[in-house]
Amino acid sequence: MSRTLKIILTLNLLVLAVLTFAYPHLMVGPGKLIPGHKQLDTDCFACHVAFTGVASPKCASCHKPADIGRLTVSGAPVAKPLTSVAFHQELISQDCVACHSDHAGVKRYHFKGFFDHSLLKKQTSERCQACHKAPADALHQQIIGNCSQCHTQQKWTPANFAHDNYFALDRDHSATCVTCHVGNDYSRYTCYGCHEHTQTNIRREHVEEGIRQFNNCVECHRSGNKHDIKGGEGRHGEDREHD
Amino acid sequence: MKSSLWREHVLPFTLLLGLLAAATLAGDYLLHRLNLVWVGRYMGIPGTLLIIGSLYYSARKRKWVSRGDPKSLLTMHEFGTWLGSLMVLIHAGVHFNAILPWLATVAMGVNVVSGMVGKMLLGQSRAHVQGERERFQLRGLSKTEVEQAVFWDAVALGAMTQWRKVHIPIFVVFAVLALGHILSIFLFWGWA
Repeated sequence: MSRTLKIILTLNLLVLAVLTFAYPHLMVGPGKLIPGHKQLDTDCFACHVAFTGVASPKCASCHKPADIGRLTVSGAPVAKPLTSVAFHQELISQDCVACHSDHAGVKRYHFKGFFDHSLLKKQTSERCQACHKAPADALHQQIIGNCSQCHTQQKWTPANFAHDNYFALDRDHSATCVTCHVGNDYSRYTCYGCHEHTQTNIRREHVEEGIRQFNNCVECHRSGNKHDIKGGEGRHGEDREHD
Repeated sequence: MKSSLWREHVLPFTLLLGLLAAATLAGDYLLHRLNLVWVGRYMGIPGTLLIIGSLYYSARKRKWVSRGDPKSLLTMHEFGTWLGSLMVLIHAGVHFNAILPWLATVAMGVNVVSGMVGKMLLGQSRAHVQGERERFQLRGLSKTEVEQAVFWDAVALGAMTQWRKVHIPIFVVFAVLALGHILSIFLFWGWA
């Protein structure tokens, strides 16, 4: 490399170094800040701590956890809250960047619409309806409470409940939930909720076969198929009345 | 039929460069499609390490180190910088966030192109143009006619010679800008 080229190269790099310190948001900042933080554009260390990243206490110095979702940083009530309820007060720890990223270039790496429910205090995480409205579809309108019977807190879908593991809902059993689960209590069921199965006729049919224990229908009947009776022979044998 | 410098040397070179661009776009697309964008975020690290490792050839060439077969090291240098550049390009993605890393990326691109020209094309092209000259001379053409016949090939060769001159200075620029980018990441990023 010639001496002239070396000088030109050094001067150019020096200019770039000066520009980096003068305009850090343009030279090294990973994208624009959110509009609310625009005034911090050139003050990187308003949020960052050298070599350790963004410090949550720095965020909390303006955004007081007790006020988030309720009051703005100036103390005025939040006019248009982003969530229907304030929940930051229910978090187990203050780790702002676990969910938030202010730079446009960093935002794209965050999973949109994802909230890690394990960040909530246990008693809060069990009260889904404190934050969420129940879906308005016909199925969910029949259900009261305890979303975790079918859903996890990681994903709403797929719901992990497979009714076929308990009882196959064939075309003869395409009934509303409350027909079998009275009062939307999914820990219990009854087969006497429809016209077809009455206590009298079920009892008669089972006694005729010598079966005395027939209170827990799905223990033997996992579908409406009369020929698909699980554990039939053994159980029948045990429970048959002996002449 | 007169064989063309463009068809025999420049075109394959262009295709190899195009492969780098296509592989970058394919990698970027796949990471987005498979929801693995975060992987691209860290690909700059192995890419940079590959490029740094491949610089051993440059040290060997300048006799700063004495171990290693120069020919094998050159192959490693070409492959390492190509693959390292691919990783850095995927890492950069199509995201225009800050000027400094983008200048570094552009400098790296120019560095790759100049390196490919200097190391892969220049020798062959020089031999090609010289061969053409000799062939025309054997056919009895005058010196002026020979120069006219190889004019465009000579122009392409001249351009390549200039590219080679760019390789080291632009590498210095790339190294300084990349270092600035890396330092800024260490300064502002929370690794914990």
